[in-house]
Amino acid sequence: MRPPAPPEPDVAQATKLHTQGSFTITSRKLPISKAGPISAMESRLHIPIPEMIFGDNLVSVVHRPSGWSVSFSAEPALDLVNKTGENMLQVAHAKDWTSSRENSSAVGIREVVRPFDWTYSTSYRGTEVRGRDGKGLEASGKQIPLELLKRRDPILFFDEVMLYESELDDNGISLVSVKLRVMEQRMLLLCRQFMRVDGVLVRVRDTRVYVDFVKDEVIREYTAKEDKFDNVKKNLMMTGLGPDAVTVAMRDSNQIANLLPVVEHQLESIDLVA
Amino acid sequence: MPGLPGRYHATCNAQHPRWTDRPVVNFFFLPASVDLDECISRLYKKELLAESVIEAICAKTKELLMRESNVVHVRAPITVVGDIHGQFFDLIEIFKIGGFCPDTNYLFLGDYVDRGMFSVETISLLVCLKLRYPNRVHLIRGNHESRGVTQSYGFYTECSRKYGNANVWHYFTDMFDFLTLSVVINDQIFCVHGGLSPSIHSIDQIKIIDRFREIPHEGPMADLVWSDPDPERDEFSLSPRGAGYTFGAQVVKKFLAVNNMNHILRAHQLCQEGYQVLYDDRLSTVWSAPNYCYRCGNMASVLEVSDTGERFFNVFAAAPENDQHKDLQPGGDKQADSGALPDYFL
Repeated sequence: MRPPAPPEPDVAQATKLHTQGSFTITSRKLPISKAGPISAMESRLHIPIPEMIFGDNLVSVVHRPSGWSVSFSAEPALDLVNKTGENMLQVAHAKDWTSSRENSSAVGIREVVRPFDWTYSTSYRGTEVRGRDGKGLEASGKQIPLELLKRRDPILFFDEVMLYESELDDNGISLVSVKLRVMEQRMLLLCRQFMRVDGVLVRVRDTRVYVDFVKDEVIREYTAKEDKFDNVKKNLMMTGLGPDAVTVAMRDSNQIANLLPVVEHQLESIDLVA
Repeated sequence: MPGLPGRYHATCNAQHPRWTDRPVVNFFFLPASVDLDECISRLYKKELLAESVIEAICAKTKELLMRESNVVHVRAPITVVGDIHGQFFDLIEIFKIGGFCPDTNYLFLGDYVDRGMFSVETISLLVCLKLRYPNRVHLIRGNHESRGVTQSYGFYTECSRKYGNANVWHYFTDMFDFLTLSVVINDQIFCVHGGLSPSIHSIDQIKIIDRFREIPHEGPMADLVWSDPDPERDEFSLSPRGAGYTFGAQVVKKFLAVNNMNHILRAHQLCQEGYQVLYDDRLSTVWSAPNYCYRCGNMASVLEVSDTGERFFNVFAAAPENDQHKDLQPGGDKQADSGALPDYFL
């Protein structure tokens, strides 16, 4: 007996388009991928795919006159996960686990299959397609104008799109999601990876894409932050939170991000005026 | 009952041949103020039980579970349910689809709590049903039925928030130490939360595990609640995380042959279709939390095993009642809820 198949996701219905100035902004949200597409992606990427994989989700920002675009989706983000197993983190109890195995009947099993960075840490900054004139983002000193973004200009288009998430077999969390808000004269996109291995390490890696619709200018900023788990906890406690509130805060990247030291920072921009 | 009795106990049927569906109060002397049927009908309405009632019910459940072997033998027909993770409305949906207790026999494969918004209501209801119909409801321990994991993934926080203190969390997690590790249906289908262990070849080796404890980080008890199949391998492999195993096709084949069974049934892994069948129909994963974490958009299923041992996945989607509670989703790591409201993030 075959059970009923889940309804096919309607890609067109799940896609939202917004046009602002010379730009078209697209977001698409669909359920997690099925077994077939997951194993296809697995054979392309050669790593196990995280259990919550939104393989059909997409956010893109296209400059129509030049054809320049930057887009965010799960597969290219996962393609940047380290596949060699170098500098692999281990869960907090890994040492106990390994030493107690020495005395058990399981001692013969030594092979780690397909070693890879199981924390799914990625330095993904989006997928850029250069314009017809060959121009792309270049290193620059231009800062994202935070003051202008703090203004409560009406939000014309907003979305939040998951790319992937893993609970790391309950050793923490690793997730990548994209948020965007479009106002009349500018937009901000934030692609954030939040990664926490309990008892070990916390990472926040942010890619911000700022678009000025008046000047047809794009700034991309990448900020990687990380700290030891215990340091983050200690710093949260210093802010006056009680133990229960600290536990909750450790699951919330918004409460943690500002406490983490920056380990990498990069600014790029492109002027798309014809 | 094949095999040796466990170290601390025999199987319940052998010791108590007269156990029926009569209310357990007849045997266990719950306080007179606690009426199980009333508790169950309140819980179906998603009302919380008083702290003192939870305390009494958990104590009685411990007494009941203590008598269960690490390998409980049951007969089909039975409906097998995978991870629920506090998705209370979807649990009720399962009863609506599969039949209410005691009309349908149920085997739950663990992971009742954490992640969803109603772990307390979910586990309260399941425990009351277990007490009320001990031979028609079976509860296996999942990796989330643990003190350690529930402190990080929501159940602890939910108990403290809903009761104003952590007492209820202590009652439940103390009771979790008594949940059985596996069930065998019709001597044919081996049911467990996670999977197989390199230290276990025969189910007799499960029976001698001292299970009345917190789930350890390693060893056969940890493996049973943690391990995953890896369809691309034949044997056991180490997880790259540095702890835990995956098991392959040959491992499954050998285990079934040694124990004279034909199928392994487990939960523990999310699948978009609500179930997954591997290794030439020797192993199934059943997943029972639709739209997991209120944002994965996945289907869910329960597996109905007929009296002749035939298996049928009954697939279902998220209950409509979930939508009313979307906006109440706590923050934390659930940041990309589909109903996210615009905000001035920077």
